[in-house]
Amino acid sequence: MSTAREDCFTMEGKLALPYQYFAGLTGSRFLISLRDQKKIKGLKCNKCNKIFVPPRSTCEICFEEISGNWVDLKNSGTVTGFTIIRYEEPHQPVKPPYILALIKLDGADTPLTHIVKGVPLSKMKVGMKVKAMFAKKSTSSIMDIDHFRPVEGKPKFEMGYTYDELEVGMSASFSKTISESDVYLFAGISGDFNPMHLNEEFAKMTPFGTRIAHGALPQSLIAPVLGMKLPGLGTVALEIMARFKAPTYFGDTITATGEVVEKLEKKRWVRMALTWTNQKDELVAEGSALVIPPMPLPQQAE
Amino acid sequence: MNKNRNVGIIGIGQSVYSSHREDVNQPEMIHEAVVEALDQAGMTMDDIDCVVHGNMELFEMVHQPDLWHTLGTGVFGKESLRVTTGGTTGATLVCAADNLVASGLHDVVMAIGFEKLQEGHTTGGITNMADPLWARQLQTGALTGMTAAEIIDEFGEDRAKKASMKYRIIMDKHAMKNDKAHRRLGLEFDQADDLMVNSPALVGELRMIDMCSQSDGTCVMIFASEEKAKKFCKQPAWIKDHITVHREESYYIFGDAPYTTSHRYAARKLFERNGVKNPRKEIDMFEMYDPSSWWGLDWLREFLLLEGDEHLKMVENDDITMKGSFPVNPSGGVIASNPIGATAMVRVAEAAMQIMGTAGDHQVPKTVNQALASGFGGTMWTVLFLLTRDVPGRDEHLISSV
Repeated sequence: MSTAREDCFTMEGKLALPYQYFAGLTGSRFLISLRDQKKIKGLKCNKCNKIFVPPRSTCEICFEEISGNWVDLKNSGTVTGFTIIRYEEPHQPVKPPYILALIKLDGADTPLTHIVKGVPLSKMKVGMKVKAMFAKKSTSSIMDIDHFRPVEGKPKFEMGYTYDELEVGMSASFSKTISESDVYLFAGISGDFNPMHLNEEFAKMTPFGTRIAHGALPQSLIAPVLGMKLPGLGTVALEIMARFKAPTYFGDTITATGEVVEKLEKKRWVRMALTWTNQKDELVAEGSALVIPPMPLPQQAE
Repeated sequence: MNKNRNVGIIGIGQSVYSSHREDVNQPEMIHEAVVEALDQAGMTMDDIDCVVHGNMELFEMVHQPDLWHTLGTGVFGKESLRVTTGGTTGATLVCAADNLVASGLHDVVMAIGFEKLQEGHTTGGITNMADPLWARQLQTGALTGMTAAEIIDEFGEDRAKKASMKYRIIMDKHAMKNDKAHRRLGLEFDQADDLMVNSPALVGELRMIDMCSQSDGTCVMIFASEEKAKKFCKQPAWIKDHITVHREESYYIFGDAPYTTSHRYAARKLFERNGVKNPRKEIDMFEMYDPSSWWGLDWLREFLLLEGDEHLKMVENDDITMKGSFPVNPSGGVIASNPIGATAMVRVAEAAMQIMGTAGDHQVPKTVNQALASGFGGTMWTVLFLLTRDVPGRDEHLISSV
């Protein structure tokens, strides 16, 4: 039942809530070392040996004054928890979506909250090693650390999908228009100077009535699919089978497609269905492939 | 008041009161007073069973400060509760701590009142108190010139202004003897005429010099059961009784119709049930929550149940000075220091210090056997305390009637 009424007023109000916060001597020292030395410092409780960052002048558990016990921390650390901020409001430091993480700096016992960049949202995980990236311009605040980003940095090569990442139904293709020069170059590469590919007068006498491309030429277009797209870099091809269904004429645009059809759990191999079609959607060839998907590589150095 | 057991004040800590405490954040400022109170009581946090924490709601724009302040309060792993009753917060903290100990729930309770007014926006906080439908768009904040106008009406401009200014200068002379006070201006009585004219007017005859400040600061008090208090402290200040009275005043006062103030009502009740017939004789000193010199002057009459111009005479005759017959606010009062969530607690703390003999340079030169302390806030809240040097006797009549 609706409780809305036309005969009742609603008062709209707005209150200003300005405030200041005094960082104090301890908080200020932390900010000064961020600003002037790009160093993150923590405070150590000599009783329980905990190192706190952000710093606090007392250990609340031992109730000890610790404000003199500064220790240098590394600018790197481990993500102990994170959330992804997706809602937008005017006072956010960066535009959503962004990752807000708890980062336990190397040498510290308490985590620091900060932004993590340089990692796809879907790849963010607890345990990730990250390092502080300092802001170009100081604001004498915690934002003197602009953000944290993965220590590994961006891999130099985007490796393909591993066995575990591949799912039946995933597919990828590559398209190319087969030109006369492609055919002539392929003849040179393969040594196949058959006049049906190179001699128009001869070709007129064949059932095709004109020169056609070598069968292996469109077939080879599956190589960039398997090796560079699906599964992608790191794939080893074990077997490629093809049955030719129609000729490829000069100027035809061929699309080679691979689709994951079976995961062979025992061997951790993948079987893929292959098709080659032309610009008229005619099936040029079909077949199958057996591949070893890329193994997860050891993390590369930046 | 009928209590299960007596409660003694055994430790008091105060931070320095100041307009700015940039050297400390909130938990650090609180920590200063916590350490001082523990030292005075000869205790460590291990001896504290429960911590009661309070400040004025919204004044620092910090949510649940009691939890956040754990770094400075030492409350980790202990019982705790938060009290916020506006200007009376500090006084209500004392009531809560007293109740917790008297009830038998805890043996030793620490109460913490603090405010860091410089960090917040008091008008924003106060505006929230006004009724959003009928008053929020109209209300004007915490200043009022009404009392000044009333005193001038009743006693004439010359006498009223002189008495108010003399009250103000006496308070400053007291503050000069209190190291921790915020405003210590070094005023002299011969400046009175000048200040009455030249201090900037705030509302009507309420001038800047008359009004209390905004301060940063913390007050911490430790309360103990009779047994523990005697064990830890040579001379505790005992909480004999306290009373809280409040009323929504703005819908009660119509024109010049006579009314009983919450102060007078509280005093009458408190004196009645404690057999105080002549407060000025039986009570040795008074720490009053005096937000302005005009209020301080007027409220002497209310709290001491005086009639006519007796209260003016008390000021004119120097009765309220530190060496006078009835010292009022040897600390300098609220006009000198006003960290709101602590302010009302400081009144009780300062009265207790006079009994315990720990007020140092602003200790009154006589034995204080019985002291009065008041808290004030919001729309006429009064909390009034009676503290004693001797362990309060048990009122067998009240106990047997339970």
